[in-house]
Amino acid sequence: MLQEFEFVGVLSAITLTIPIVTLLIAWALRPKKPNPAKQTTYESGMETIGDAWVQFKAQYYIYAIIYVVFDVEAIFLFPFAVALRQLPLYALVWAVVFIVLLVDGLLYGWRKGALRWN
Amino acid sequence: MDALRLLTPEITITIFAFAIISLDIAWNDENKSRRILPWLAFAGGLATLLMIFYIWPHVDQYNYTAATDAGREVPMLAVDRMSLFFKMIAVLTVILVGLSAGEYVEKHTPFRGEFYGLMLLAGLSIMLLVSSTNLIMIYLALEFLSITSYILTGFLRRDARSIEAALKYFLYGALASGVMLYGFSLLYGATGSVDLATIAGSLETTQAGLVVAAVILMLAGFGFKIALVPFHQWSPDAYEGAPTPITAFLSVGPKAAGLAVLIRVMVVALPAFDVNWTPILSLVAIFTMSVGNLVALWQTNMKRMLAYSSIAQAGYMLVGLAAWSAAPPSAVAYLGGVDAIMLFLLAYMFTNLGVFAIAIILENQMGTSEIADYAGLIRRSPYLSVALLIFFLSLVGIPPTSGFIGKLFVFGAAVNQGLYVLALFGVFNSVISVAYYFGVLRNVFFEKGSDESPIRVGVAMNTVVTITVVMTLLIALYGQPFIQLAADSAQILAANF
Amino acid sequence: MIESIPLSYYLLLSATLFTIGAAGVLIRRNTIIILMCVEMMMNAVNLTFIAFSRFLDSATGQVFVFMIMAVAAVEVAIGLALLVELNRHKDAVDINQFNSLKG
Repeated sequence: MLQEFEFVGVLSAITLTIPIVTLLIAWALRPKKPNPAKQTTYESGMETIGDAWVQFKAQYYIYAIIYVVFDVEAIFLFPFAVALRQLPLYALVWAVVFIVLLVDGLLYGWRKGALRWN
Repeated sequence: MDALRLLTPEITITIFAFAIISLDIAWNDENKSRRILPWLAFAGGLATLLMIFYIWPHVDQYNYTAATDAGREVPMLAVDRMSLFFKMIAVLTVILVGLSAGEYVEKHTPFRGEFYGLMLLAGLSIMLLVSSTNLIMIYLALEFLSITSYILTGFLRRDARSIEAALKYFLYGALASGVMLYGFSLLYGATGSVDLATIAGSLETTQAGLVVAAVILMLAGFGFKIALVPFHQWSPDAYEGAPTPITAFLSVGPKAAGLAVLIRVMVVALPAFDVNWTPILSLVAIFTMSVGNLVALWQTNMKRMLAYSSIAQAGYMLVGLAAWSAAPPSAVAYLGGVDAIMLFLLAYMFTNLGVFAIAIILENQMGTSEIADYAGLIRRSPYLSVALLIFFLSLVGIPPTSGFIGKLFVFGAAVNQGLYVLALFGVFNSVISVAYYFGVLRNVFFEKGSDESPIRVGVAMNTVVTITVVMTLLIALYGQPFIQLAADSAQILAANF
Repeated sequence: MIESIPLSYYLLLSATLFTIGAAGVLIRRNTIIILMCVEMMMNAVNLTFIAFSRFLDSATGQVFVFMIMAVAAVEVAIGLALLVELNRHKDAVDINQFNSLKG
């Protein structure tokens, strides 16, 4: 079994070598003249303010929650779409029912103001 | 009868639930027509109940509704008398809880549409769960029930206790369902199928060790729903923090659903495996009864006490299942014990919902559910006091109440199978339970309360209390039809397989 | 050709993942980490189902995995919503601080 994994090893070695060699060449060829402006994290951007660990607005979570639910429902539509040609017509009806229920959920979220940013 | 007509109860309740939620978002908060939403839920419950009675005579010839997978029938739901019996319990629970929730919901939350819509959907999830014959369907229905229960438990979002209760319920529930799923995956691996009947048929290809492990893991999931010891820790917190009508619902609905699915898995899938389940079931039953009753002795809050009391009641029900499992394997069709559970559950439902109706009335009036505040109730409302006495007699199992008949059958089934120790534990536990039930009654009848103002009881509440009192007495005094109903429902289950 | 990895490896891996997840749920006190551990348990179960499904050459296991994924997403949504709501009352995610109900 080990021999059969040989080519995986060779492939890994090659994929590791190429970027390392490129970086080394760039490091050897480039001129080195550091100054304070060049050393900052974002050379041409804003200075960062404060800590990255700040409290997010709860609103973000509500969006995340709605996104998670509707995102995952796609896994039911995916196999359905692949098999569509072999399926009888009533399968399409069930898929439409499924989508209508999802839209009902979205409508609910919209009417309750979950999509409003304030 | 074709498959779609067998599912009319489920379809009816779904339509009503979505109608309520849709009307709720169509009308804005000031609209006066929103007042009909509770009545729409009530109508939905009644219509579903009618549908159940309508298909009841037709089910013995047609057992399965099936999904078709490339010409192969994949059974998902079984519509049989057993599932119809449990569906009836679920819908009755939804109706009675919905009726008694009116004033409470009005007082505590503006989200009326969601409350009643979710109540109906919780009822739907129980109806699906009790007829599931497939591990996938069992999982989906169980999660459906869990998720609606989490939301309903945390329904009072301005009340930190309600949200905290929901979070605790959720965390225990997620752990339990994960463990149960692992059991499912092992069972699937051992038998190559997720259909209960096929699992029963693939006995020779499996190892008993793997199956026992899988079943114990699955028991965690079902035990969580029924609140069996040691999967009960969520229930006192969830019961105390949840809105009181939801506590009433949690004490009957999920318990009935969990028991139904446990019975179905045990009766359909597992007799083929040559494993003796009686010791496991008896042990769980003994622990559930004893822990429930002993801890209930120390409670000062009515909802918490009822939480432990309903843990103990679930233990009594499990005695019936242990009795069934002790029957000799040659008599697979013998379902003595299962019919006792059904009778017990019917009695328990009316009694417990009655107790909770009284708790809701008093909480609406006084704002608390501490047992100390029940003092002097006899002078404030003699009717409620006597009703409470009848309910508690029934919960202890003293004639002439339905609880006595239920316990008689359950413990009788255990004695029939020679499980004398188990029956003795049951009787002993009933004696312990006298202490805390009569502690409340002593407060009600003999203590003097600070407040002497009479208790005001609305029409809906009065109806609920009257129905539950009448049923509690009727099942005891005129029990033959109910005993027959339970026996029929249990026998049909065996005839199917 | 590579010979296939035996079933027992997958089962061992998923059992390990499941145990780590379950231990995490029982030991950790941070609610968000508990949620992550629950996800881990679910994924361990998914792995078991997929492995058995491949081994038994039956598609049912994969159908089950679809369902588990969808339900897991819904569970996370509910869990996060409860946590956000509780955060308005108490500024904490440590479950030891959620102790107003006891007895």
